[in-house]
Amino acid sequence: MTSRLTARMTHALVLLFIVSVISFALLHLMPGDFAEILLMAQMDGTLPDATQVAQFAADNGLDDPLPYQYLRWLIALFQGDLGKSFITDEPILGDISLRLGQSLLLAVLSLITALMIAVPLGIICARYPGSRIDRIAGLISVIGMSIPNFWYALLLALLFSLVLGWLPTGGHGTWAHAILPTMVIATSIAGVLSRFVRGSLLEELSKPYIRTAKAKGNGRLRTVLRHAIPNTAPGLLTFAGMQFARIFDGMIIVETLFAWPGLGRFLVESLLNRDYPAIQACFLLIATSYILINLAVDIAIAIYDPRAREVV
Amino acid sequence: MTGASFNRLSFTGGKIVHFGRRVFQGYALVMLAVIVAVLLLPLIAPNDPYQAQFLYRLKDPSWAYPLGTDALGRCVLSRLIYGAQLTTASALLVVICASALGSLIGAFAGMAGGLIDRLLMRFCEGMSVFPALAICMIIAGVLGLGLKAVIIALIAVHWTEYARVVRNAVIVERTKPYVMAAVALGAHRHRITQRHIFPNIIGPLLTLAAYSMSWAILSFAGLSFLGLGVEPGTPEWGLMIAESRNYLRDYPRLVLAPGLTIAAFVVSINLFGDLLGDRFRIRQINYLH
Repeated sequence: MTSRLTARMTHALVLLFIVSVISFALLHLMPGDFAEILLMAQMDGTLPDATQVAQFAADNGLDDPLPYQYLRWLIALFQGDLGKSFITDEPILGDISLRLGQSLLLAVLSLITALMIAVPLGIICARYPGSRIDRIAGLISVIGMSIPNFWYALLLALLFSLVLGWLPTGGHGTWAHAILPTMVIATSIAGVLSRFVRGSLLEELSKPYIRTAKAKGNGRLRTVLRHAIPNTAPGLLTFAGMQFARIFDGMIIVETLFAWPGLGRFLVESLLNRDYPAIQACFLLIATSYILINLAVDIAIAIYDPRAREVV
Repeated sequence: MTGASFNRLSFTGGKIVHFGRRVFQGYALVMLAVIVAVLLLPLIAPNDPYQAQFLYRLKDPSWAYPLGTDALGRCVLSRLIYGAQLTTASALLVVICASALGSLIGAFAGMAGGLIDRLLMRFCEGMSVFPALAICMIIAGVLGLGLKAVIIALIAVHWTEYARVVRNAVIVERTKPYVMAAVALGAHRHRITQRHIFPNIIGPLLTLAAYSMSWAILSFAGLSFLGLGVEPGTPEWGLMIAESRNYLRDYPRLVLAPGLTIAAFVVSINLFGDLLGDRFRIRQINYLH
């Protein structure tokens, strides 16, 4: 597994470099002088005078050339220093790593739930295209893609927490708290996923090897499960990897709504507080994890499907 | 979006093609009329959407206030109507700017080929990997939040979709005999792009524009809902839902009305996109959200 994977890894490394430059630039591109803003944050919002700013910049190396500052920032980054929050004055790393775990938990739960809904549904729809269940599934997935997920989340909260009183409206700690957020994210991507499964399975089922498999005397179920499904798996894996991006978009909304202490809510809070170091850390973390997720998907496909190894 | 060849809207797919061109033109006219009407709607709004009347808080629907009033005593219907205008105008602006920018860059990449093409496409692919809403939020946050920042952020994230579609279409068209004939006749590269290739890629472009319109509407509402979009108090659908959240149990209509409006808007635009896709026989473009 050489050429393709090497190309992908180089691609990922270049992307990581670009991401690091952009997140470094985020702090230096914001309106106003960086040293002044930093100093203002430390002095609780009083406006420092020019000599103080110059002194502060000199002390902290903020008047060095930008490439030099970038390198220093990068080295600090590798030592686990993400800077301090403007608001709490605490190191961001500790805060963010706690929340990362909560977000990952929610993301993995949602993806598994979504796949558990989408794959069987997609198989049924592809097995009986044009049937009533196929049409209903298609209709639901179009509607699902058209309603705002924050509104949908509120409706679920209204039904299950306020009217029926089965689930807590927000917070975290028990599994009951995770049900509503997971349901919102999972159902919002299950529609697209099931349509994808249906489409790629239909394509596989029209190929000659399926006819051969049937001619050999395989049953319908066995033909689908043993012959067609394994061939759709690499595509599904790539697609599921891409859905991770949409899961995070959903998480931003859901975490804010249900008071789930994850990365999405942290990002919203930092943006509302204009806590630039925290925003920078979030961007860096999100971008890096998406590059790594996609690389992991590529590697997984290369391991699963030998054909994918050689094609560049 | 890559490699996704699944058939959108298969539950009606076969039938729409049979309706043919006339239905399509009819739908296009209706859509155009709706957009014009939406932009002119504030003329028919029953009340001032900003006027807060504390004596008329949380009133049930009546003749004076057809959809009732919200927690500050403002007319819900008027706010929905003004919100329609704001949302449509912003989304149109995003779609127009993003499509212009993305098409230019995509056409440039497709015509230039080689290293430039590969670098630009790698960049666009790279962008598609990230969560769009999060990146929008960060760009808008760095720009200082507010309506202008949100629109710029949506454009900055969205142009890559157009660049990819236009670039792929240009690559396909470029190798066709009629383009080679134009080249053989000595036509300049710009002339070929404008006169020969552009008319042939207008189909995918329009289809994508419909889907990106609904993407822009949903993202705009989502950002406003989170408090990262328009100023508090602005009649905007996402913000209206956020402001009514605390009244969900006792006055669900305050949350239902704006949500249903968004859903109806987006469903109709997506269906229009499906029609465009069927009309131009496009299978590769899918919903963006």
